[in-house]
Amino acid sequence: MISRSAIGGNAQLALRRQCCVKPANRRGLAAAVSGSTSFSYDTADVGGVKVASRDVTGPTTKLAVVAKAGTRYQSAPGLTTGLEQFAFKNTNKRSALRITRESELLGGQLTSYHTREALVIEAKFLREDLPYFTELLGEVITQTKYTAHEYHEEVEHVIKLNQKKLLGNVSELAINSAHGVAFHRGLGTPLYPSSSTPLSKYLNESSIAQFASSAYAKPNIAVVANGASQTELAKWVGEFFTEVPSSSASTLSSEATKYFGGEERIAHDGGNSLVIAFPGSSSFTAGSSYKPEIAVLAALLGGKSSIKWSPGFSLLSKAASTFPGASAATTHFAYSDAGLLSIQFSGSASAIRNASSEAVKALKSISDGSISKEDFTKAVASAKYNALEEGQNIEAGLVATGAGLVHGGKAFQIDQIGKSIEGVSADKLKSVPKALLEGKATISAVGDLYVLPYAEELGLKI
Amino acid sequence: MSQPSLAGYIVKRPWLKRWMTPLANWYANAAGYRKLGLRADDLIPEESETVLLALKRLPQKEAYDRVYRLRRAFQCSLAHQLLPKDQHTKPDEDVPYLSPIIKEIEAEARERADLESLSIKKN
Repeated sequence: MISRSAIGGNAQLALRRQCCVKPANRRGLAAAVSGSTSFSYDTADVGGVKVASRDVTGPTTKLAVVAKAGTRYQSAPGLTTGLEQFAFKNTNKRSALRITRESELLGGQLTSYHTREALVIEAKFLREDLPYFTELLGEVITQTKYTAHEYHEEVEHVIKLNQKKLLGNVSELAINSAHGVAFHRGLGTPLYPSSSTPLSKYLNESSIAQFASSAYAKPNIAVVANGASQTELAKWVGEFFTEVPSSSASTLSSEATKYFGGEERIAHDGGNSLVIAFPGSSSFTAGSSYKPEIAVLAALLGGKSSIKWSPGFSLLSKAASTFPGASAATTHFAYSDAGLLSIQFSGSASAIRNASSEAVKALKSISDGSISKEDFTKAVASAKYNALEEGQNIEAGLVATGAGLVHGGKAFQIDQIGKSIEGVSADKLKSVPKALLEGKATISAVGDLYVLPYAEELGLKI
Repeated sequence: MSQPSLAGYIVKRPWLKRWMTPLANWYANAAGYRKLGLRADDLIPEESETVLLALKRLPQKEAYDRVYRLRRAFQCSLAHQLLPKDQHTKPDEDVPYLSPIIKEIEAEARERADLESLSIKKN
């Protein structure tokens, strides 16, 4: 250490000033903002592949290939799940292990999942690694080997576990059953094959490879990115997606969805769940068949509280709170050409029985027009918030946009949704539950069937 | 576990191959396994993780045929007999069906070991 006397007073002062006193007006250079803060997607067509990106500022990027190969389009049970599990397995260029290790080194995360309509293969990574991961996704959809040993050693095992998981999940079973009853084939196909589906008959590595060749074709896929500039993404997609076949081997099609309705009851020992469902509206990306009043009705019925330590003030949460042990939730499942407005109850069987009859009464009261103006305003605000939040949410926006693009509609445009929900009037809203109650309902009861009500007992038509 | 082999070295040199082929054919016949209806790959010792995994990965038909050949050979061996001439393995039937799978598994293991001992240099 330098002794105090060795340095003159002035020098000490200068030293101190240098390290400790920073001028108040010192600032860094203004950082150039990369990307915009807009929440709308830019779309383009790069050599036949639909590309959409949203250049949100930030150091990370989420890139996904959304294929029109969800359970709705699968040509045999389980194919979508099989194809989902085969993502990031051995390709002609590198092994699954190498893919995993390389993306680990770059700090990326790889996932694949599916919805009823779309199969999503997704990578999350640092912004500067865009070329590497674009190449990887292009390779996964064109070069995967679909080997027999990977199917038997890895894929099949996971599918069986998924089946078991589904078997234990009462609410998931009820939702799947409601979809099946409401739409029969197509959208009615369960999201995961149930445990008693004869899979070995339909599912093997060659049937999956065949499904892949028709699923991963240029008209069937969209590349969607969040946090990448459109020009950059278009450039790399143009380079790495050239090997994607321009037309699929056999077209994956599903006939236009028709609503049937009906009742299904499944005995189960692991819990209780009751789903009351009505035909809903298609998703925003479908265009003309989008009905914002259904979203408002879903918000009005509600069920889940938006504040802590309170059952909430929506119609269903009021109905359910008088029967402790029951909880209700309204969800609107929107698809490309249809939708399902579902009210799901869970809890003890007797509480569900009481709460569900209250809920049907609440629906009737809306159709009679006995909702207060305040409730209506709250519902519109809540519906708008939910829709906008979903758009802002990277995950949901990505899938919605990709699905919208491959179904020939438009990308998920957040500002227009807000406007269309605001345009719903109270009169328009009243007419909706009336029409729903006059039409056929869908009822799925899973659990203690001795107690759970029939549609007849609830006063619903099936 | 694949057997050590000079085949790659020899095949690359046509003059050596021309010279070695009759010798190799003579050796394979003299080894006697063809007279018991076996193939060369049936002789690979099974007692290793790699070979066991490779056997699991065999297509079903191949696996059945392999078991059939082995049982037939055991039977012949117990009876101190050779198969009739028409049931001997023909040279064109004596193809490697197991060793390519073994090589694949070994390559996987090697790749894993390489990746495990990877050191990252950042510049």
